[in-house]
Amino acid sequence: MGIFSAIFGHNKPVAPEREKFFSIIGAAFELQGNSDFRLREKAGLVMNPAESQYFDNLNSELHNLLSVSERSTGTRFEIADDDYGTRWAVLDDQDFEDLVTTVHMIAETVADHGYGNRLLASVFAVEFSRRDAYIIYNYKSGNFYPFATAGNHERDNALELRLGEALKAMNVPVERRLEN
Amino acid sequence: MRQRSYGRDSGLTLRITFTMMMLAALWVVFMGLLFWAGIPWMFVLMFAIIGAAFQYFGSDKLVLMSTRARAVTAHEEPKLHATIERLSQMADMPVPKKIAIMETHVPNAFATGRNPKNTVIAVSRGLLDRLTDPEIEAVLGHELTHVKNRDVAVMTWAGLIVIAAGFLMQWLFIIGMFGGFGREDRREGGGGNMFMIMIAVYIGTYAVYFLAQILIMALSRYREYAADRGGAMLTGAPMQLASALAKISNDMYRIPERDLRQVEHANAFMLVPALKGNSMARMFSSHPTTEARIERLQNMQQDMERGTPFRI
Repeated sequence: MGIFSAIFGHNKPVAPEREKFFSIIGAAFELQGNSDFRLREKAGLVMNPAESQYFDNLNSELHNLLSVSERSTGTRFEIADDDYGTRWAVLDDQDFEDLVTTVHMIAETVADHGYGNRLLASVFAVEFSRRDAYIIYNYKSGNFYPFATAGNHERDNALELRLGEALKAMNVPVERRLEN
Repeated sequence: MRQRSYGRDSGLTLRITFTMMMLAALWVVFMGLLFWAGIPWMFVLMFAIIGAAFQYFGSDKLVLMSTRARAVTAHEEPKLHATIERLSQMADMPVPKKIAIMETHVPNAFATGRNPKNTVIAVSRGLLDRLTDPEIEAVLGHELTHVKNRDVAVMTWAGLIVIAAGFLMQWLFIIGMFGGFGREDRREGGGGNMFMIMIAVYIGTYAVYFLAQILIMALSRYREYAADRGGAMLTGAPMQLASALAKISNDMYRIPERDLRQVEHANAFMLVPALKGNSMARMFSSHPTTEARIERLQNMQQDMERGTPFRI
């Protein structure tokens, strides 16, 4: 955050950056040529609902929107809230490009209503080195980061680092995020 | 036309700019006065910077000590830790270094520390007991926004002029008491003129101190509004913060004086200052009235409902 934002107390959220976000498609296809990497055909968008009528009605709006795209792209979807009050849109599609586009469409819809700062992350399920891992796009910073679990509440930092390096090599903007 | 959410309130930005400009103008006047009177202004400035640096680097320890807040581990307070961690991640900032609890019934909270890495966030036991989970989250969002906005740094360095004028006032007082200047003047034979100059400096410094204090307090109130706004943006629930503020300020009147005194040294840092009655004029208050804060949060909620959130 810049010094002027700090002095004036501005909190300008990062707008979803199309270019950066879509860089994951090319990267994923190139990585797939590599035996270590496989797409798991699942993605999710996580947001933190605001207490407002828009979010009360968002589920039905998203249902309408996603039903339309389900007919054209075959992307199956599910919308649910977790225990923390976080809202998830979980998408299922064999075509990775459709997954990315649909996630972006939801993000844009939410941002178009002025709620861009409610978007937290989108998550893409992959398999790396024969282990389940995730590529996460952080809407706050506009970067990707790798995420992998080892056991219940531990993160597999070594695997994350390797996946992060692999993504970086494909010119995907990756941030370091190893805490927890 | 695309609508994006903006975390800014242009009225607030304007007022912060104006206050900063007034402070800058006051610096010019103050330095001019010292220069004119032949007072070693570099010396005054240096002392003020040292004083401010102490405040800047020591504020966290000082506030923790004066409020007797105790750092708690994730084992002792798992829920509080988890909530703060989650909010920090949502705000894309590091998790505060220390999370502390004040063992008092006064429901309150504060955040301090010069940068996000050296942050201390403290809440009182009363706050945890009295507020609902979404309200606690709203309060923590407000405190985290103070950290994100670098309020300790901004307020310390903006307050440099108050420290400088304060130092000079003390020195002038001591010098006046021992009659240092007077004696020297008599030897040089220009006593009358020098005396008039010292009187002018004395009055001028008081005026600068007084005006700067008013400006700093105004700035502090604007920063409370900004933290309310940023906090509500973070949690997406302005009304939870409004409700928390209402509960806290209502409770203040029911709490024994003894408990209030425990937190009052750190009032400037608190979510709601622990003051009973109208003991301080509004102009000298570090916080806006709770009513004014709630009104702004209500406006925010209305913007959100209209589908043009956080735009003014």
